[in-house]
Amino acid sequence: MSRGASIKVRGLCKTYGSGARAVHALGPIDFDVAAGEFVSLIGPSGCGKSTTMLLVAGLEPITAGRVEIDGRPLTEPLSDVGIVFQDHLLLEFRTALGNVMLQQQIRRLDRDEQRARAAELFSRLGLAGAEDRYPWQLSGGMRQRVSIARALVHDPSMLLMDEPFGALDAITRTQIRHDLELLWLDTRKTVLFITHSIDEAIGLSDRVLVMSPGPGRIVEEIPIDLPRPRPAHLGDHPEFARYARRIYDIFENLGIYRFHRDRP
Amino acid sequence: MASAIAGRSGRAAVTALQAALAVAVLLGTWEILVRVYEIPIWLVPKPSDFLARLYTDAALIAYHAAATSWTILLGFLLGVLVAVPLALAIVSFGALERGLYPLIVFLNIMPKTVVGPIFVVWFGIGPLVSVFLVFLMCFFPVMVDSMSGFRAVDRRLFYITRSMGATRWQEFRHLRLPAAMGPIYAGMKIGIVKAIEGVIIAEFIASQAGLGYLIMRASGFMDLTLMFAALVATALVALLFNAVLTGGERLLLPWARHLQR
Repeated sequence: MSRGASIKVRGLCKTYGSGARAVHALGPIDFDVAAGEFVSLIGPSGCGKSTTMLLVAGLEPITAGRVEIDGRPLTEPLSDVGIVFQDHLLLEFRTALGNVMLQQQIRRLDRDEQRARAAELFSRLGLAGAEDRYPWQLSGGMRQRVSIARALVHDPSMLLMDEPFGALDAITRTQIRHDLELLWLDTRKTVLFITHSIDEAIGLSDRVLVMSPGPGRIVEEIPIDLPRPRPAHLGDHPEFARYARRIYDIFENLGIYRFHRDRP
Repeated sequence: MASAIAGRSGRAAVTALQAALAVAVLLGTWEILVRVYEIPIWLVPKPSDFLARLYTDAALIAYHAAATSWTILLGFLLGVLVAVPLALAIVSFGALERGLYPLIVFLNIMPKTVVGPIFVVWFGIGPLVSVFLVFLMCFFPVMVDSMSGFRAVDRRLFYITRSMGATRWQEFRHLRLPAAMGPIYAGMKIGIVKAIEGVIIAEFIASQAGLGYLIMRASGFMDLTLMFAALVATALVALLFNAVLTGGERLLLPWARHLQR
């Protein structure tokens, strides 16, 4: 089983377009993710969270700065990685298992071994019996579980997740969050997790990086020192409330939240 | 599952029965009205007349139906074989999209049948004119739908395949082509209807075989029963092509079954 890879980001900037119409979207930002660490990026829309993820994956050209994976500078799309987006992005013309086996086909991996891994992931993610169903025959939560299986079947050392539960209902989201945490505890892959949700960030992460928009920057780093696995109803935890309060305060100080405290 | 299948085929049988019943009622009413009002056969033939003609002139009608079917098949295949790669090229290269696409749209707006007489001058009376007209008729719907199919892939899916290290060929083979199959097929289903329209018109103006030719010739002799018999044969040919395409869809696009009901 491949263990996590480390990420090192220094002076990373991204500008879209050029000349007078250039939009400075991100940076400069610096951060590190240790091997096997679960780190969340949290912030409002447009703060460059998704851009950061794409740059770390080597999927968009870097404007300035550098990204190192396990100490090696990134020069081409990162291959030893699994990616999950907000929408499941499954291929509608493939079955659930067919979607997961896309990794094996494109990477030309051993078929039987990948099938066995897929079967194990399906059972761990509560997808047993759904192998031959097409995406339209699955619920939103199951589709997202399939896309998590697709991101993990080739045993990558890193998992990049861009608001993976954003499109799911609150009940499904709590369950899938818990399942992901257990899976991560067993495999200890490096995870960079992008989210809008304060609950998700605190519920899953070893560390939360809070971002602010225009251009995107990291404004605060909050280590989350809570026991694992973390409970579904985090609200009961006094420590959780303290962390959540801290993130709310940061957002309020940045003017992202405007609470009208003086109203009767 | 078994009962679901039985239920579906049962429902299909009921639907077919209802359709057959509707046709029978229509033909029966027609037959009765023509008999009651004693309308002469050279003005409006009775269903019994022209259905009998389908039997007595079976060899003649089958010969022309085969000619028509062959023309449709050739023109349609040619249309698909040109339209799909061209759609991919247009979607892939911006220059083609800006240069070629407006021209194709202009050509499509023009009623295709008007080029029939020009084709007659170029190719003479014969099957080539019909094949080309069928090609023109079905080419455009297939191309437009193929273009939207090749465009339909979410950009972020390419992020995922690139992180897998996919080559351009793998991207095409595993992503673009299968994603475009549904729209391509939808275009083909529109294209075949256009093709059948086109073939009859082409055979009216420039052929020595085919159901359109048979209808024109029968018209010259005021042989209305044969005209109606040929009309029924044309409908049967159209039905056959539609049935083949619909059947092929279940085979080729098994994932789209929910769209096919």
